[in-house]
Amino acid sequence: MSDTTLDSSGRCEARSYRPTNPADLAEALERAFDYRGDVTLELRSGERIEGYIFNRCADDPSPSLQMYLAGDSTPRRIRYAEIVAVMFTGEDTASGKSWEAWVKKKESDRKAEADRIAADARARGHL
Amino acid sequence: MAVPILQMFTVAKYVLTQKLKGVERYPLVMMLEPLFRCNLACAGCGKIQYPDHVLDRRLTPEQCWKAAEECGAPIVSIPGGEPLIHPEMAAIVKGLVHRKKYVYLCTNAILLERKLDEYTPSKYLTFSIHMDGLKEEHDLAVCRDGIYEVAVKAVKAALSRGFRVTTNTTLFNDAEPERVRQFFDAMMELGVEGMMVSPGYSYEKAPDQKNFLKRERTRDLFRRILHHPKKGWRFNQSPLFLDFLMGKKDYQCTPWGNPTFNIFGWQKPCYLLQEGYAATFQELMNKTKWEQYGTGRHEQCADCMVHCGYEASAVNDTFGSFKGFTRTVQATLIPTAR
Repeated sequence: MSDTTLDSSGRCEARSYRPTNPADLAEALERAFDYRGDVTLELRSGERIEGYIFNRCADDPSPSLQMYLAGDSTPRRIRYAEIVAVMFTGEDTASGKSWEAWVKKKESDRKAEADRIAADARARGHL
Repeated sequence: MAVPILQMFTVAKYVLTQKLKGVERYPLVMMLEPLFRCNLACAGCGKIQYPDHVLDRRLTPEQCWKAAEECGAPIVSIPGGEPLIHPEMAAIVKGLVHRKKYVYLCTNAILLERKLDEYTPSKYLTFSIHMDGLKEEHDLAVCRDGIYEVAVKAVKAALSRGFRVTTNTTLFNDAEPERVRQFFDAMMELGVEGMMVSPGYSYEKAPDQKNFLKRERTRDLFRRILHHPKKGWRFNQSPLFLDFLMGKKDYQCTPWGNPTFNIFGWQKPCYLLQEGYAATFQELMNKTKWEQYGTGRHEQCADCMVHCGYEASAVNDTFGSFKGFTRTVQATLIPTAR
């Protein structure tokens, strides 16, 4: 189920928007540009594409955005006019990692998290 | 002197040439981010929060060399992510050194000892080691125990093999001036060529939003850290920038001074803000609305005093005014006169 207006709390993860006018679409895409996770766009053609939006040219006569799709080496450019829905489908990688949250965690949880990050780096051969 | 004379001469010649040519905006240090993947997850870092498929992307050596040529800055700083994770980093550095760029490879040093064989000592190459304080402070900042000792060991190994080594330190509002002074002593005792220091920036995406410094707090902190500097301390940065941090100078930001190139392109407008990307360096310089950025012009710039915006302002002061030049000479020759 998609919303037609944006959530005022600013939380985006797992939300979907189906804007009804260009201004709302532009605002939703601005949030998508600011979002540190993957976003799925539904296009007028019916196609759905998921990727990371890293750039947008909102002030151009024909506004567009650029996104990296997983597995593609070159970015894809999409005009705002092609987009009918915006879904924040990927994990917000910047969420839930505040300093306060880190401090509030039990020492054992902090150690477990540090160990998990270290294990991930080791598995990739980065340690 | 922390910066070798030949490097100082190269930078001075470059800046004066730009001024003689009447170039209003020119880059001083190119920030090259070949990847965002890191093997740490520091609480103050806003550079690594991306989906995995973005973290797995890397610039090729050819993309790095082309960007450095396009930009033309005499110094290339390579942060990240952790640059030593990049399997072609040695080739990237070699190509930049071949182009006579002064390269500062910024690393947390976890992989440095293992990778040293891939590099050749050169006056153009400096390993800039991320050190945020003594053991207790550094390990806390990088959110992992034992990293300070790993870095110290790597510094010693790099120095013993003839590499230029500096440190780069980001200070947060919980910094204890006396502990920072002890840390400077420890780094100089290690034998590093010089130290770089900067206040942290409040990345919107960084987990640690409480600990970033506000302007007045920054000045107060740096006054307490840098007053009566010890004779042996050497800083690998403009002395006027240190004056600025202490509140003795006031500068406006020079966001084009350290242009940033990464897997997304040329970042607008600076290393810290992400307002979009330009496809070419010229597009970045020509199309960015520079007048919208800097203290008093943009809310996200309000408290920023970070080196990537203000060191270029300090260098411009050195070569833009007799007063600035004489102060730089004085502070370089008599670093304790602060």
